[in-house]
Amino acid sequence: MLFAAVGPAAQQPSIVRGRVEIGIPISTRRPTNAYGRTVGAPKLAPESERRHVVVYLRDAKPAPVRPMHAEIRQRDENFIPRVVAVTVGSDVEFPNDDPIYHNVFSLSRAKNFDLGRYPRGETRSVKFDKPGVVKVFCQIHSHMTATVMVFDHPWFAVPNEDGRFELPPMPAGERLITAWHERLGDTTLRVRVEAGRPVTADFVLPVPEL
Amino acid sequence: MKAPPRLVARTLAVTFVTVAIILSLVFLVLTVDVRDRVRASETEKLQVSEKMFTALEARRQQEQLATITTLAENPTLKAALDTYFTESSFSGLAPEQERSLRDTVTREIDKLAALTAADVLAIVDTRGRVFASAGRSRERWQVDERVQLPGTASLFQGVVALPGGAFRISGASLSLADRDIGALVLGTSLDGNYAQEVSNLSNAGVVIAVNGDVVARTVPPEVTDDLTKAGPDPGGTRRLNGEEYAIRQLFANGPARVYTLTSLDAAARAATRDALFTLGMIAFGAIVLAALGSFWLARMLTEPIDQLVSNIAVMTAARDERPTLQPTGSSRELDALTAAFNQLMKGLTAAEAESRAAYLGAIRALAAALDARDPYTAGHSERVSALSVLIGREMHLGNSDLDVLRLGALLHDIGKIGLSDEVLRKPGSLTTEEYEQIKRHPALGARILRQVPFLAPHLPIVELHHERPDGRGYPFGLRGDDIPLASRIVHVADAYDAMTSARAYRPARARAEAVSELQRYAGTQFDHASVDALLSALPSSTDAPEPALQELLGRQLA
Repeated sequence: MLFAAVGPAAQQPSIVRGRVEIGIPISTRRPTNAYGRTVGAPKLAPESERRHVVVYLRDAKPAPVRPMHAEIRQRDENFIPRVVAVTVGSDVEFPNDDPIYHNVFSLSRAKNFDLGRYPRGETRSVKFDKPGVVKVFCQIHSHMTATVMVFDHPWFAVPNEDGRFELPPMPAGERLITAWHERLGDTTLRVRVEAGRPVTADFVLPVPEL
Repeated sequence: MKAPPRLVARTLAVTFVTVAIILSLVFLVLTVDVRDRVRASETEKLQVSEKMFTALEARRQQEQLATITTLAENPTLKAALDTYFTESSFSGLAPEQERSLRDTVTREIDKLAALTAADVLAIVDTRGRVFASAGRSRERWQVDERVQLPGTASLFQGVVALPGGAFRISGASLSLADRDIGALVLGTSLDGNYAQEVSNLSNAGVVIAVNGDVVARTVPPEVTDDLTKAGPDPGGTRRLNGEEYAIRQLFANGPARVYTLTSLDAAARAATRDALFTLGMIAFGAIVLAALGSFWLARMLTEPIDQLVSNIAVMTAARDERPTLQPTGSSRELDALTAAFNQLMKGLTAAEAESRAAYLGAIRALAAALDARDPYTAGHSERVSALSVLIGREMHLGNSDLDVLRLGALLHDIGKIGLSDEVLRKPGSLTTEEYEQIKRHPALGARILRQVPFLAPHLPIVELHHERPDGRGYPFGLRGDDIPLASRIVHVADAYDAMTSARAYRPARARAEAVSELQRYAGTQFDHASVDALLSALPSSTDAPEPALQELLGRQLA
């Protein structure tokens, strides 16, 4: 399961880039709400499962980072995007696009919050000031979920729809690169980062056990 | 030989035997019929129970599914659970956070369990282990216990067998977006309470078996031993613990089987007992009615018969020849019997009259033959007879006594047949020897009459008509009342006629003279009462003996 392409050692920091593949497409089940009614299919183009992955440098030492700004919209009783990765101190907006109320909350240790109910067009912002994983839910619509990954270093990325990602240049040496998926959990590759040339880390995430 | 039984006994016996036979047949039919009916009704009852149970269970399962679907939408529960698993897999959970998340989950499902009043409400994680449980059976759903859930659908039902017992479950997966984070399970414990509940509904015994082992029952263990030994069999009848049971399988899911069963024998016993009680009451009523009826019937027959019998007895005792017996009017047959009896009596009376006439004729001929030997005594017997009857009537004797008197008097001198003509017709006075010969005639007469049985009543008259109240008569010298009345009467009549008739040796004396002679010797030679009766019976003291006597005789001989 390890496809680490290891280049020659170098003194200069190098970027790590690669692709994330998911072995077998996860069968998606349409959620039902409390009344047995199937929730409407997303009207936007469905996000690729690859967008639900966060690739990051494991065991990274905290490093100064610049706060970011991100947005998780509530649309068609879904959080869009479902997975967001930000730096410590970043603000995340939770605008409500639905014609109904939502109530965004989290029970996570990294950020415990409850934004209360608010209608369409309103937005609430949360500042994530501790690193870690924050699970976000809606108190009204129990099937809605999103994940905010908060890092205290810059070496993380969310792949694009092709599954491609690129981590910022990191010091050379033996590194552990982890791809975390909402359902599939962690997959970690050991790579040797060498100066001057990009390192490729291609992930094939394990097939979910059914 | 034994006397035949009374009619009442006979009718009662016939009635009782009939009733007994009918009741026995009814009993036999009833017993067989009751058994068949009970078998049919119990089987039917079980089928109805099964249908009802199935319908109720279907509804209950549907309701449970609806309930569990709603419960599985609890956002706090899902958030806490997802947070727990996501964070523990990402960077591990701090102890206080784990406790806090678990508390949140536990609090939520405690709340939900209280709402549903289910035996157990549990969360099973995606690895098939119990994460948390609530409800009164939560001890049997230990945290981290492995549970084999039936199927992976978002809604599922079935039976799970845990070490602590089997549960009938309805479950729903806890879904977030497009993935499952676990399952929420509502369980009904298949235990004694459940068995009792179903048993109360179906009004029959219930046995719950899991993997072939009985886990709960409402029937004695011996019955279930036989049931499990014989293996599962949905429906039909089976002998268990020596009794026949009707069995239906109410429910079969996974390892669990729920049977309902009822003892046909016990039901038949109860039904037969009821039927017998009713039959007993009917039998009692029938026997009482039959007894009364047959008693009445017998009385209806025997009463007129008894009446006839007593009438005949009275007639016989009185020698009453009134030939008609009154018909009882109770039944045509008895009236016919009465008429036949009357007819018979009429015939008998006619025959008796005929034989009496013949008998009278014979005696009269005998008397006439005697009288014909001596011109002087011609008509003497007839006259004495008439006089005797006259006296008897005066003394108010009965008809039969008068008959005896009449014929006895006719024959009183019959013994003289044995005397020689010389003695009998001698004109002069008799020698002592001749007189002794004469004195023998009553004994002679008696000897002749003894040969003829039907003349026995007249014997004393013939033999003793020369006895005297003072005891100086012959042949025995009896005194007073020792001499029969008839003999005394005939003695007086004989003397009177002898005195008023001419003899070869003397002329006839006048009536007055004869009367005074009688009066003089009344009490010594003649019976006083008889003399008095004769004197008062004679028409008058005027001296016209012959016409009066002729008239009298004429009447008697007519």
